Amino acid sequence: MNSMGRGFSRRDVRRMAHSSGKRNSAKRLEEEMTILEQVPPDLQSRLKDVLSQQEEIKVAISTDLQFDGTYGKDWVLVTEKRLIAFNRNGAPTPEVQNIPLEDVESIEIRELHGNNIMKVRTQAGAVEVARYSKRFAPKFAEATPEIESLIDKVKPEALDESKRHRKYVASGKKIRCETCGSPIPRRSDVCPNCVEKGKLIFRLLKYALPFWRVSAPAVLIMMVVRLVDLYPAVLSKQLIDDIFVPATQAITNGQQPEPGAFGQLVLIVLLMVGVNVFTMVASAIRGYMMAWVGQNITLKLRNDAYQHLSVLSLDFYEQRDTGNLMSRITQDVGRLRDFISEGLQNIIGDSMALIYMCIIMFAINWQLALWALIPIPLLIFFTIFFGQKMHKVFHVLWKHYAGISTILASTIPGVRVVKAFTREKYEVGRFRNLTDLIFEGEMNAAKLWTVYHPIMRFIIFFGMIMIWLVGGRQILNDQLTIGGLTLFTNFMMRFFMPVQTLCRMNERFLRAATSAERVFEILDTPPSVADSKDAIDLPDIRGAVEFRDVVFSYDSEKNALNGINFTVKPGEMIGLVGHSGAGKSTLINLITRFYDPQHGEVFIDGHDTRDVKVSTLRKQIGVVLQDPFLFEGTVADNIGYGKPDATRKEIIAAAKAANAHDFIVKFPDGYDTKVGERGSRVSGGERQRISIARAILKNPRILILDEATSSVDTETESRIQEALGRLIQGRTVFAIAHRLSTLKHSNRLIILEEGKVDEIGTHEELIAKGGTYAGLCEKQMELSKIRAL
Amino acid sequence: MQQPIQIEDEIQFLDAKRVKIERNQSEELTVELPDGSTHAPVEPVRAFPLTHLTQYISLLDADQNEIGMIEDIKQLKKADRKVLEEELRKCYFMPKITKVHSLEGRFGVTHWEVDTSRGAAYFDLRSRFDIVSLEGGRVLIKDVDGNRYEIPNYHRLDANSVALLETQI
Repeated sequence: MNSMGRGFSRRDVRRMAHSSGKRNSAKRLEEEMTILEQVPPDLQSRLKDVLSQQEEIKVAISTDLQFDGTYGKDWVLVTEKRLIAFNRNGAPTPEVQNIPLEDVESIEIRELHGNNIMKVRTQAGAVEVARYSKRFAPKFAEATPEIESLIDKVKPEALDESKRHRKYVASGKKIRCETCGSPIPRRSDVCPNCVEKGKLIFRLLKYALPFWRVSAPAVLIMMVVRLVDLYPAVLSKQLIDDIFVPATQAITNGQQPEPGAFGQLVLIVLLMVGVNVFTMVASAIRGYMMAWVGQNITLKLRNDAYQHLSVLSLDFYEQRDTGNLMSRITQDVGRLRDFISEGLQNIIGDSMALIYMCIIMFAINWQLALWALIPIPLLIFFTIFFGQKMHKVFHVLWKHYAGISTILASTIPGVRVVKAFTREKYEVGRFRNLTDLIFEGEMNAAKLWTVYHPIMRFIIFFGMIMIWLVGGRQILNDQLTIGGLTLFTNFMMRFFMPVQTLCRMNERFLRAATSAERVFEILDTPPSVADSKDAIDLPDIRGAVEFRDVVFSYDSEKNALNGINFTVKPGEMIGLVGHSGAGKSTLINLITRFYDPQHGEVFIDGHDTRDVKVSTLRKQIGVVLQDPFLFEGTVADNIGYGKPDATRKEIIAAAKAANAHDFIVKFPDGYDTKVGERGSRVSGGERQRISIARAILKNPRILILDEATSSVDTETESRIQEALGRLIQGRTVFAIAHRLSTLKHSNRLIILEEGKVDEIGTHEELIAKGGTYAGLCEKQMELSKIRAL
Repeated sequence: MQQPIQIEDEIQFLDAKRVKIERNQSEELTVELPDGSTHAPVEPVRAFPLTHLTQYISLLDADQNEIGMIEDIKQLKKADRKVLEEELRKCYFMPKITKVHSLEGRFGVTHWEVDTSRGAAYFDLRSRFDIVSLEGGRVLIKDVDGNRYEIPNYHRLDANSVALLETQI
């Protein structure tokens, strides 16, 4: 039996993990993630018996599970002639399956819960060749098309096209880092391992650079303030050593204190007052300066980010969720400002303060200074220790608070359900359970807080004791003055804050770097649909549209459009029909140039859409969507959104044409009615008509209706239909609808299926043809009969 | 007057004694129903994969349509039961964690080294949200890649494992 024989023993796993450390578990993954892995020697010797000469291994993949359901390494090897599987099934030597490629009918992957199984189907039946956990799913998904292409070489065209596996492409959501392979924390899309802290912080500082005239003096002021801040302690040392001690000595000796002593006392006290006033004023000024710098950076960064965001193409938005992008512009930018204006300064300031104190202490008495430093490691240890504990406690608390919010957010709007099913008691019980847990959590937090401060105080007290003891002995040996001792005790009290700041320095840097990366990602992404250098203004168009062999894919995994060809004359209305996912919306996205095709061309009035400026193209295209988006503002603002210089008269005319005027004037505020966010105060049908008015006012040559009437009741629909009837006159129209009756005005229909044009022609032609469209019509007729009943 | 429907009538469990479950030479499940029809390949699906592992098993045909439900595996004939249990074990791979050796976290990502009922394993989690604690100390874990692990009652683990776990739940 071989050491590789039973897969990972626990020792193996631990050794691998330890020798590599977390950072390198990525490396381990990398070795296992290629589809041509190193075949262990024991298998190689067994292969000799199976393989003919000059047969070369093309694919070698290991599993992490065995068929008996335990963890372990089995193998699948493919040469240009055969597929070999080594499966151990709990036996010491693996069982070998040898399947000639020419027998293979298909490769199947069974996606199960928590594991997958690879099967090979031959004429004689199917055999399972590998079982693996989801960790290896990408590797097997990558290897499968490779194996299929090897089969192709043995017997071309034999594999069933529909059962073929596509080339594996990782999904858009980043789970593991692309460079290092380690997992990326949820709620972040930045790999903490790969964040180049230094570079990012440096880049961030560049934003502060234009304000150096203010920030440099601010830093200077701070360094001076931190130094001056220590001066009172030095002064009190002088006060004691130069005035009080000689004076008390004189008095004990029965003499008068020196005559100038009181004057000196007043002078030193005045100096102390002066120092304090100075630090106060200087800190205030510095605070104001840094606030100014911080706000300026925020202003610039936020505007830059939003401005660039608006330039970016739709694909950028589709890969990220709204909340994530929003928090980048609000929270992350804010965090960066805090870091530059406060965090970084505090770090510099506190380190300076520590250094100053050390210099002063060592200058006065280096032995005692060494003793005084003893509590610092303790302070560091406990700060970190309690920080971790605190983090844990607060996480639990936070989870419970989130639970309370969940209950409230579901039971308050759902109160009718709660009452209708008389579950009040149950809900109150759930709530009470959570509040009990919160009580417990808060008390745990209180426990930590109440312990934390006394412990910190005790450590400092311990330091003091040490200074009293060691310093006191030095005083007795005449190695230290009393003033020196008070200075040390004074400094001891001041250690705490800077130590705490510096303990959290790394975390602060990392947080800032992550935020910076998130903001800079926006700034660094080039728009995928951009005007070419020699793009021309699209002249006023007539509305002819042509698709020439257009291929488009969102994710390079599946083609959303697969060779589309058609020509539309100006003024024609085209109905787009097809199942969801057939490519209707994609087609429209290419006309409006939200995306560019990977292959083929889209022409508008003979201009390739890629040769004209995007803005001049979109100005001539109008869109009415299924769920129209109204912006915060008045009804009039929304109608005039596409034509900012529209007169009141034009707005009313457009509303009339859209059958919207009548209901708008009935609003108490008429056209001045605020629609609220997402138009919540306006009903669905009303919103739809406002959006039609918006499109009418823009007066585009090409109009796109995307399910414009699907979400309203029948009566409203007829009014919207009427409005649409007016809107589409004299324009090229592309209309998407599931209810085929809404496409009755269409001149021609395009039936899409799996990204291809299935049928194209007039309603009558297609009915006569008796194909897909005729079938769809029949089904809908039946449905409407049921409705009529 | 018409009576309201009896909801019990809406569900018809298969007569377990008259069902025949076998494995064909393609290592697929074939099921012969009491009405004499045979289906292959059949995929068994647990209706309650977390709470009732041996009850309410739905049998799906190749087009993912339900051909019937088995109320309790125990009702099946011995040989059939063995085949079905074997297939379920294959379809649901969720090792039970028996010991936590180490658990290291950085920025929300945690790396776990554990012993399970199926051997030693390691995995990564992307956040604490991937750990669900249920009543009675039961813990369900879903790792970065979508693998799942279970701890039936974490209080029963050794003190070291509990201490490590409690940093996360």
